Amino acid sequence: MKDKIKLALAQISSKREDKEANLQKIEKLTRKAKDLGADLVIFPELCLSGYVVRDQIYELAETVPGPTVEKVEELAKKTGMHIIFGMPELSEKTQATIFNTAVLISPKGLIGKYRKMYLPTHSVFEEKRYFRPGYQTAAFPTELGNIGLCICYDVFFPEVTRLTRLKGAQLIVCISASPAVRRSYFETLTCARALENTTFLAYVNLAGVQDGLQFWGGSRLVSPSGDVLAKAKYDEEDFVTCEVDYSDLRTAETFIPTLKDLRPELFDKLKEYSERL
Amino acid sequence: MELTPSVLEMDFSEVQKRICRFIREYVKNAGAKGIVLGLSGGIDSATIAALSSLAIGGENVIALMLPEKENFDQKDIDDAQVVADKFKLQTQICDLSNVLSCFYKGIPVFEPKDRLCKGNIKARTRMIYLYYYGNKLNKIVCGSSDKSETMMGYSTKWGDAAADITPILDLYKTQVRKLALHLGIPEKLALKPSTPALWPNQTAENELGIKYETLDLILVGLERFMTPQEIASQLAIEKSLVEKVKVRWLANEHKRRMPIGPKIGYRTVGNDFRLPRHTY
Repeated sequence: MKDKIKLALAQISSKREDKEANLQKIEKLTRKAKDLGADLVIFPELCLSGYVVRDQIYELAETVPGPTVEKVEELAKKTGMHIIFGMPELSEKTQATIFNTAVLISPKGLIGKYRKMYLPTHSVFEEKRYFRPGYQTAAFPTELGNIGLCICYDVFFPEVTRLTRLKGAQLIVCISASPAVRRSYFETLTCARALENTTFLAYVNLAGVQDGLQFWGGSRLVSPSGDVLAKAKYDEEDFVTCEVDYSDLRTAETFIPTLKDLRPELFDKLKEYSERL
Repeated sequence: MELTPSVLEMDFSEVQKRICRFIREYVKNAGAKGIVLGLSGGIDSATIAALSSLAIGGENVIALMLPEKENFDQKDIDDAQVVADKFKLQTQICDLSNVLSCFYKGIPVFEPKDRLCKGNIKARTRMIYLYYYGNKLNKIVCGSSDKSETMMGYSTKWGDAAADITPILDLYKTQVRKLALHLGIPEKLALKPSTPALWPNQTAENELGIKYETLDLILVGLERFMTPQEIASQLAIEKSLVEKVKVRWLANEHKRRMPIGPKIGYRTVGNDFRLPRHTY
């Protein structure tokens, strides 16, 4: 495993209902990331299909593995890159059960996927109407370290990143499609999730406007002590490379020993009281 | 939440940026050759005109001035011209008087004293002109409805509320005034009493029976799920006034939606036919 890895935060706007155009953008930016010496390139939530596609999601969802994943596997193989991107995933067992999924692919092929656990269905969001929630957090041992995945609204629930970290994730990747009015929440929460778990957290958001929703961009890498190490522009498409130095984990864990100080008995209480809410 | 004027404060630089980005992207994605809008000499149309110009350049914005003899006021034309000059808009004046006369004469049940029905003909005629220009010149029709009048249903159905985009839809009137000042629209125009200009001497505040400063605070309270009692207590006003505003807000949902029909099929337009809104 490498001690240091280089990330590329590919903050794109995706073209709704045009998987071909979005795949071309993924390919172009993966090659750019490779040229800049990156090991891992990260794209936003549902960037393959677009975020506001409503009923069209049924036409756009694909299985994982499936045709798009095969194409991205080919791209990863050719470029030697690790790639994370978001797409609507069709269950292999049904014809209209869909997940909001993050996919992690290495040069050797599909490593794994994460299905979004917390689906916002309030305000402008209607994800539960279309998606089934996932039931598992995800942390994958890779050549680039242990990489955990979560998606957007999951970051409001500290138990998701906590569990992901406890499963071994050293770098948690949060892909997102967050509209501008929520920027301050995400700027706070991404730092908090990294700091409370002493982990790196890479947040990659959409840019652009879809059906009046303006995505605020602002993708970033946060250090295990909660510092923003790199940040993309607000609102516009941007592409930022940054470095994860895993030796920083030890420094953070000794100075902010949240994992050492965990109190497991509180988790039972959390379960008990959340059931009574 | 405390209902004081500070809840309506905004970072108007950020608001301007966000609205301009919205306009720019919409026009670009639609493949349109700019924007057409009505420029009345009032605050809302001045604000959308300024924003459109800042977003895509005044040379791509046609501002139609649509006077008619019953409501004619040279001051309105002059005010509109000030905005057009400042933001370098293309302008055209179309006198609606003859067209309106034809409507009045041609409608068998037309009643001149029914000023509301007559006034609505004016608002809908303006809409026809705007859409003709939009259609002919491949431009997007930009509407000037704000959040206060949209929540109150203070508009003519398929008249002034009809548009392809409505950039200030999520701003209350008092916020529009501040945005207008921020954009450099002259103060005398920004603070001029609003009127839909359906008949002479009509003003919005007289018709609504409430000052926008109070109305907007009531509406922001309703927006944030406060009860009429809470709103009335905080603003030190009669609960009945808040309830009157609430009833009007709820009763006018029909103006904010597609026409309704009975649910018969598998997926129904305007109901559970849920499609993304594209601009091509």
